[in-house]
Amino acid sequence: MAIQLLNGLVYGALLFTVASGLALMFGLRRIVNFAHGSLYMLGAYIGYSASAVLGFWGGLIAAAACLALVGLLLDSVVFRPLQRRDPLTTLLVTFGLALIAEDLVLTVWGKDTLSFAAPSVLAGDWSLFGTSFPVYRVAMIGFGALAALGLLLWLRLSRVGLFVRAASQDPVIAAVQGINTDRVSALVVAISASLAGVSGVVAAPLLSLAPNMAGDILVDSFIVVVVGGLGSMGGAFVTAIVLGQINVLGVVFMPELTSLLPFLLMIAVLVWKPAGLAGERV
Amino acid sequence: MSATRFFGWAGLAAIGPLVAWLTPSLLTQSLVAQATFLAIFALGVGLLLRQNGTVSFGHAAFFGLPGYMLGALLPLKLMPVELLICAAVLLTAGAAFVIGLVIVRVHGIAFGMLTLAVGQAVYEAATRMRGLTGGNDGLSLRLPPHLFGLSIKTFQQPGGMLIVSWLVMVAVLALVSVLGASRLGVLTEAIRDNEERVRFLGYRTLLPRAAMFAISAAVTAIGGVLFSLYNAFISPDTVHWTASGSALIMAILGGSGAFWGPVEGAFVYFFVKDLLSGYTTHWLSIIGMALIVTTVAFPAGLAGLLPWLRKLIESRQGEDPVASS
Repeated sequence: MAIQLLNGLVYGALLFTVASGLALMFGLRRIVNFAHGSLYMLGAYIGYSASAVLGFWGGLIAAAACLALVGLLLDSVVFRPLQRRDPLTTLLVTFGLALIAEDLVLTVWGKDTLSFAAPSVLAGDWSLFGTSFPVYRVAMIGFGALAALGLLLWLRLSRVGLFVRAASQDPVIAAVQGINTDRVSALVVAISASLAGVSGVVAAPLLSLAPNMAGDILVDSFIVVVVGGLGSMGGAFVTAIVLGQINVLGVVFMPELTSLLPFLLMIAVLVWKPAGLAGERV
Repeated sequence: MSATRFFGWAGLAAIGPLVAWLTPSLLTQSLVAQATFLAIFALGVGLLLRQNGTVSFGHAAFFGLPGYMLGALLPLKLMPVELLICAAVLLTAGAAFVIGLVIVRVHGIAFGMLTLAVGQAVYEAATRMRGLTGGNDGLSLRLPPHLFGLSIKTFQQPGGMLIVSWLVMVAVLALVSVLGASRLGVLTEAIRDNEERVRFLGYRTLLPRAAMFAISAAVTAIGGVLFSLYNAFISPDTVHWTASGSALIMAILGGSGAFWGPVEGAFVYFFVKDLLSGYTTHWLSIIGMALIVTTVAFPAGLAGLLPWLRKLIESRQGEDPVASS
């Protein structure tokens, strides 16, 4: 049982690191990035290729760097020029980008499932609660916790974090106060993209690589962001953890219904609180 | 209805039978029939986009649900098959209405995210509930020998299905055009443009939007019924979100501003895809770029092409600077 809870935490941590970027982007620009799952997928594939030469850690750093660049590009080529348009335009444009990214992955890496070994430092099992538990999964939980803590400290304590929170509350007033919202946005999108890419690499040893991985993570991330309260980091954190637990416990207790549980959770929360768990808070 | 309008609709309705009569190629007939299923699918998605101003990434669920209902309920012989088909469409619309009551309340752009979750929930259910849906193997429909007074062969041969589905498509198109001018149509458009102001005028805004969501699901479900009758088979691929995504692209390419835009988009999408499949494997990139270019530069889509050309020609004719300003 305790092992199942830990497994739930593994998936919850992964969901949070992907969904937090979506929540940040929504908070700042009021946009939905449909290509966020593709960033996660690209990170995983770039990590896969880079790790063949540079090893796991090299692959991780390569994916983080490449995806940060992709994020900067995404912000300057797509989000900024479209910021005065209907947010639907951005959603559809990023949908188009997601299709192109899938084609790119199919062309470069093929449609077969690829797998990727955990680094030797994190290989092996630990005995926990009387059974063995892979060290790598513990490391994944650690990665999620580190990302959450890092984002929390950054948003609460740093000057740029203050700007991000201010711009999320009211971009116009924030700009009037002298905050360069474009620069804040470029930074946030780059960090979000990089985080999604790193999550892809971190998830790769556990879940295999396939061109449909973008869509799978996107569905759950969307649920996390909407149920948590659009743009809220705290809400996204709580929802990701709960969703992770639901996924694992569902498999154990109600295998036929597992896939419907996240959906039922979403409906239940939205009936109770249409604005999501955190409401309008950032 | 004026005479020109009547002849316009009658002419449109005649095209399908004419194509079936003129093209002896079974392949072409089959392609046109399949394109009409998708056109009706896209009409539902386009209706939602035009009336509620929201995108759906989950309409494939409503396209596939009637097929699954038929597959599961036909062997039980509860009621005449014709009635069962109508019930399947109505039940799909009912399910959409209930879900709609919950999800239309969220912020416009987030609605799209929720439809994706709804669609994937149906997909997951279709793959996991093997007893009911046959899992990944899919489900065969045990159809009776006669349906609506016609031999079942009519529905499963390309020529026959082409005529049936074309006529149904024209009928749905006519319904959609009537709906746009109806009270509900005008009200939902007003809510789309400014919900707060409509509420200020004393209207409830939740029910009309949920109703429009249900109607758009019903339209898509009609396409789904034709699709599953033609194939006598339904599988989870039909309800995967990528199918919803394609229908959304068809509606956008065609232009959701005009009620017939999605039909135009669906035919162009389907036949261009078929044409290009022999030359390139990069269909995803091509359609992705087409989607981006259309949304950014030509939001009116293919349906906006004619008015745009007319305007261009008119501005060329009136060369004096005052008229062109």
